[in-house]
Amino acid sequence: MTPLLEVEDLVVEMRRHGAAFRAVDGVSFSLERGGALAIVGESGCGKSITLRAIMDLLPSGGRLVSGRVVVDGVELEADNRGRGRGHDQRERMSIIFQDALSALNPVATVGNQIAEAPRHVLALGRNASRERAIELLRLVGIPDPERRYHAYPHELSGGTRQRVMIAIALSSEPAILLCDEPTTALDVTIQTQILALLCELREARGLSLVFVTHDLSVVSQVAEQLAVMYTGRLVETGPTEIVLGAPRHPYTAGLLGAALDVDTPEREPIAIPGSIPDPLRLPSGCTFHPRCRFATLDCVTTDVRLEPVGPDQEAACLHSDALAAALAGAGRD
Amino acid sequence: MSGAASASGVLLEVDNVSVSFHVEHGRVLRAVDTVSFQVAKGEVLGLVGESGCGKTTVAKCIVGQITPNAGAVRLEGRELGPKRTAEERRAIQMVFQDPYSSLNPRMSVRQVLSELLGVHRIVPRAGIEDRCRELMALVGLPPDALGGLPSQFSGGQRQRIAIARALAVEPRVIIADEPVSALDVSVQATILRLFEDLGSRLGLTIVFISHNLAVVRHLSRRVAVMYLGRIVEEGGRESVFGDPRHPYTRALLEAAPRLHQTELVRPVVRGEPPSPIDIPAGCSFHPRCPRAEEVCSQVRPLLESVGTGDEHLAACHFRREASPRFGDGTPPTYRDEAPFGALEGP
Repeated sequence: MTPLLEVEDLVVEMRRHGAAFRAVDGVSFSLERGGALAIVGESGCGKSITLRAIMDLLPSGGRLVSGRVVVDGVELEADNRGRGRGHDQRERMSIIFQDALSALNPVATVGNQIAEAPRHVLALGRNASRERAIELLRLVGIPDPERRYHAYPHELSGGTRQRVMIAIALSSEPAILLCDEPTTALDVTIQTQILALLCELREARGLSLVFVTHDLSVVSQVAEQLAVMYTGRLVETGPTEIVLGAPRHPYTAGLLGAALDVDTPEREPIAIPGSIPDPLRLPSGCTFHPRCRFATLDCVTTDVRLEPVGPDQEAACLHSDALAAALAGAGRD
Repeated sequence: MSGAASASGVLLEVDNVSVSFHVEHGRVLRAVDTVSFQVAKGEVLGLVGESGCGKTTVAKCIVGQITPNAGAVRLEGRELGPKRTAEERRAIQMVFQDPYSSLNPRMSVRQVLSELLGVHRIVPRAGIEDRCRELMALVGLPPDALGGLPSQFSGGQRQRIAIARALAVEPRVIIADEPVSALDVSVQATILRLFEDLGSRLGLTIVFISHNLAVVRHLSRRVAVMYLGRIVEEGGRESVFGDPRHPYTRALLEAAPRLHQTELVRPVVRGEPPSPIDIPAGCSFHPRCPRAEEVCSQVRPLLESVGTGDEHLAACHFRREASPRFGDGTPPTYRDEAPFGALEGP
C-alpha cells in the first residue's frame, strides 16, 4: 500500500541577515492513508518550515533546495513562489496555523473565506459555495452558522477563529491536513475541544494528519507516529507510545525528563544542559553532542543519521543502546 | 474570610478587590470581582486560570499599576494606596511572561542593575559592581553576562536577567506572571528551579500566575483558581488538586494533557467563556458547567469553606460534595445555552 504522503530528503535554506543556513536538513518521513504523525521539537528546530515547504509556502528568505514531496504516488511540483500547492493535485493538502488572527483575512467575512475554495478550487457556483461554507461552519461546531457567516475574524474568540481556520482547510476537501501548532495559543479547555474536533474529522472523513507541536504531552492523544526534530533534522522516529516510553535518542530522553506532569508534582524536572545552538554555528557531527552525556569523540566527527534501533523505531545516535541501558537501569520514572 | 494564615504572618493580602472598566453604551466590564486571598511570608501561591479570567489584572493591582475600584491590597497589614512610596514599590516586584519585550534593548545588564541599585540606594556606589555579580550568581549567570545586551541572550537567559532585575531592589514579594510560558521545555525546568530556590533560600514570597496546571501544582503550596474575574476555588495545593470541589477546577485537571494518555480527552466544558461585559446571572460558570442545576442560574454561590476544615474554599452550590469525574463517562447535564464565540475583551 503506497503511503499517502512521502517526504524525501527535504532541504530548506533560510537567509537571515545575509547569511544562509539549512533550516531543514534532509528530512524524510511518510504518512499512511488515514494515519497521523506528530512532529515534535523546540523553537527553531525547523518543524514549521518543514510543513511550509511541503505546502510550498515558504516565507521570504526561504528556499527549497532539494527533496521530493509525493502525494499518492504523484510527485508535486514546487515553484518556490510562495503560492502554495496541493490545490490541483488529486489528493489535496491543507494547512492550519497557530495564530488564526494573522492567518485569516481581516477584511473578509469568515463565511466568504470558507466559501473561497469551493468556489475557485471545486468550481461550485456562488450559492452552492455559500451553502457549503455554512455546512462547514456547522461541521466544525460553530452554532448559529448562518449568522456567524457574516462575522469578521476580529469579532470572534480565539477558539472560534481556530475552528474557522479548520473549516477553511476542509473546504477544498483535502486528504491531508498539516497542522502547525494549532492549539498552542489556546486555553486548555478549548484545546480539548479542538483536538476532539480534529480527531472526529479524521475519523469521519478519513483525513490524514501531520501535527507539529512543541508540546510532548499532547501527542499521545493525537498521533500514533512520532518524529522528534532538532536543528533541522529528525533525531528519532517511531510509534508514539514506544518513543515516549523508551526513547532511543538522548534529546528525546532529555525532553521527557524536562517535562512536568500534572499527576506527579513531586518529580523535579531536569533541564537539558546547554542551549539550542545558533543555526549559523551548528556543532559538527551530531549537533546535540555538546549537550549530551553520552557523547564521545565519534559523535563530534561522524555525520550521524537515522538508523533502525527497533522494529519500527529509528534514532540518529551512535549510543542509542547505551541510552536504553541507562534508562532501563535507572528504572525511569 | 480567606482563612487564618494571619497567625503565621500574612505578608500580602488582597482584600475584596474589584476592577471594572466602563465601555461603550454605558456597559461595564468586570475584569476582577471581589477577589480576596492572603499569602503568608515565604509561601508560594499559585494563581490559575485561562485567558480573560482576570489574573493579570489582579497582578497589576498588587504591583500598583492599576488602582482597584473597590477593595484594598495590604502589605504586612498596611494598605497600599494608589500612589506608592519608593519603599512600597521596591517591596513588590514583577516578572513578566515575555522575555523579549520586558527588557530595555539598549541597556546592558550592568546598566539595568546598577541604575536600580543606585536609585534605590541599595548599596553604596562602591559596592554596586560586587552586588551586580552577586545578583548574576543568584540567577545562575556568569559575571561576564553583565556586559551583554538583551539581544545577545536566549529567552531563558533573558528571563534570568529579568529575575535578577526584580531581585536587585530586595523585594519581599515577587509576582511572576506566566514566567515560563514563552520558554522552550528544556529551559523551563531551569527557571522553575530558580523560582524554587529563591523561595527556599531567600524566603521570598511568590505569587505565581499560570494557566499551566502542571507548573502550578509543582511549584505552589496554595492555589487559587480564577474564572471570569472571580476566585472559584482556593486552598492548599493537594486539597484543590486532589479533591477539587468546583467543576471548573475538575475540568481544568481533566483537560490538562498527559504524556501517556492515548485516549482522547473528552471535552466537558462546552462553549467558550462569555464576554466579561455579559457575565451570566447566578454562577458565572453555569452555562458551561457539566453539572449545573436550576439554582446555579439563579443564585450566585459565594466562596465558602467546603467543610473539610483545612481552609479549602469553593464558590459552588455543591461544594460539600466531591465534584464528579467527567472523564470516566459521567453524563454531563448543562443548563442554559453555552456562550460561544463571544467578543474578545480588551
